[in-house]
Amino acid sequence: MATKKKRTPNVQNDSWVVMAADSVIDTQKHDSDPAFVRLRNPATDAASLYMLSSGDVQLFEVKAFEEDFHSWFVGQTVQRDGRLLFVTPMDPLYLIIPYLIKSGKECKFQPMDQVLMDEEFPACSRLLSCTGSLASLHHIAEEKEVEKLKFHRYSQEKTMNWLKKKVERTVIVLKARNISVGEGVKSTTYIRVKSESDYHEEDYLRHAHGMISEYLSEELSKALLKHLQLPELTSPKVTEPPSKKRKLSELPVEAGEDYTKFNSSDFARKPPKKMTAAQKSLAKVDKSGMKSMSSFFSPKVKAEKN
Amino acid sequence: MSSNTSVTRVLVSSVGEAQRVPVHLMPCEIEHNGPAQVSQYLTATTKDCKLEKTVSFRGRGLKGQELSCPNGYTGLVLKEINKSGSDQEDRTVKVSSVFDKLTYWNLETPPNSDDTVVMAMDWPELAEAIHGPVED
Repeated sequence: MATKKKRTPNVQNDSWVVMAADSVIDTQKHDSDPAFVRLRNPATDAASLYMLSSGDVQLFEVKAFEEDFHSWFVGQTVQRDGRLLFVTPMDPLYLIIPYLIKSGKECKFQPMDQVLMDEEFPACSRLLSCTGSLASLHHIAEEKEVEKLKFHRYSQEKTMNWLKKKVERTVIVLKARNISVGEGVKSTTYIRVKSESDYHEEDYLRHAHGMISEYLSEELSKALLKHLQLPELTSPKVTEPPSKKRKLSELPVEAGEDYTKFNSSDFARKPPKKMTAAQKSLAKVDKSGMKSMSSFFSPKVKAEKN
Repeated sequence: MSSNTSVTRVLVSSVGEAQRVPVHLMPCEIEHNGPAQVSQYLTATTKDCKLEKTVSFRGRGLKGQELSCPNGYTGLVLKEINKSGSDQEDRTVKVSSVFDKLTYWNLETPPNSDDTVVMAMDWPELAEAIHGPVED
């Protein structure tokens, strides 16, 4: 194995392979272009990359699927960065909630344009332009109208009911797509169920809760668990709540990891540290996905026949 | 941290001129960005069987499969234009190529439904469940 060879940092990368919702490139109505922007990630409180469509009508999430040791051939060119970025429509309410909670501490009804102010992330005020943002605020806030002006105050009760519906929607898709849930499966990964009816309703709920928690603060995530009447797991097997588990290949493009790099040298990968490449990749590997991944790193292992 | 204020604009009008190209996800890191004779050394020697493709790439047997983009999704290759040196400035990318399917290659392992990139194609549907509007 050629693990001794050091990888050079990929500094000159200037192109990205993207799987984009068709609405991103809808040329029907572009008076302005869509743009990647940095907004405060509700789960981490740090910067993550999102996209706002033309006219800020739609918010998109940007998620990078990544496996170590991959590159692209695009036409007759090599692209070293083997990531596939997904740009999918995102519910702006997830990003608005932390601002509402913060301003709601004074228990006052406030106009939303005063709630969505953030010196660090000025683009956050653009979330109000998204279709459905204003129209769906009643899912997470109480509304008051005074002389045609609307005022809002965060409501935990409403938010919990709204999040529960989100969890239920997610459960339906997890079942329909035969996605494996349950103990040992990390919430943000998914592998297919080997045999049907292996899993119980609670496993699906927990899994969906984990996926939704990617968009919630730890506090809200715990409150939602309670609202779903799921006890917190205390068994030694599960040392972290599902929401805290992440699979590297599925991390959102986010601050700590990427945003400075995104600025200076694009999505450049960090140069390998002192571990060997093989150790590093093994350390990263999500065990539930080992079957397919391991074959990349140890070609002598016989591949399982399908 | 004023870098949070800079944006990267996507020149959507460039889609019209973007070429439809074959796209391959290779199971190795190639420390290079730039031209390569892909059709001569990969496409030309690829064997197409019913369910999988096979090719010998640098002496390794690769097994591959074609994947369509999920419904309602288009593959784009974005390329930065007028690259500026500064962190603070806004940037611009254009759509240099488009694709509606990609071929991914495994080293030795036959392509199967647990392959990460196959699973990734489920993401848009899950995202729709997580982010689509809920009824009152």
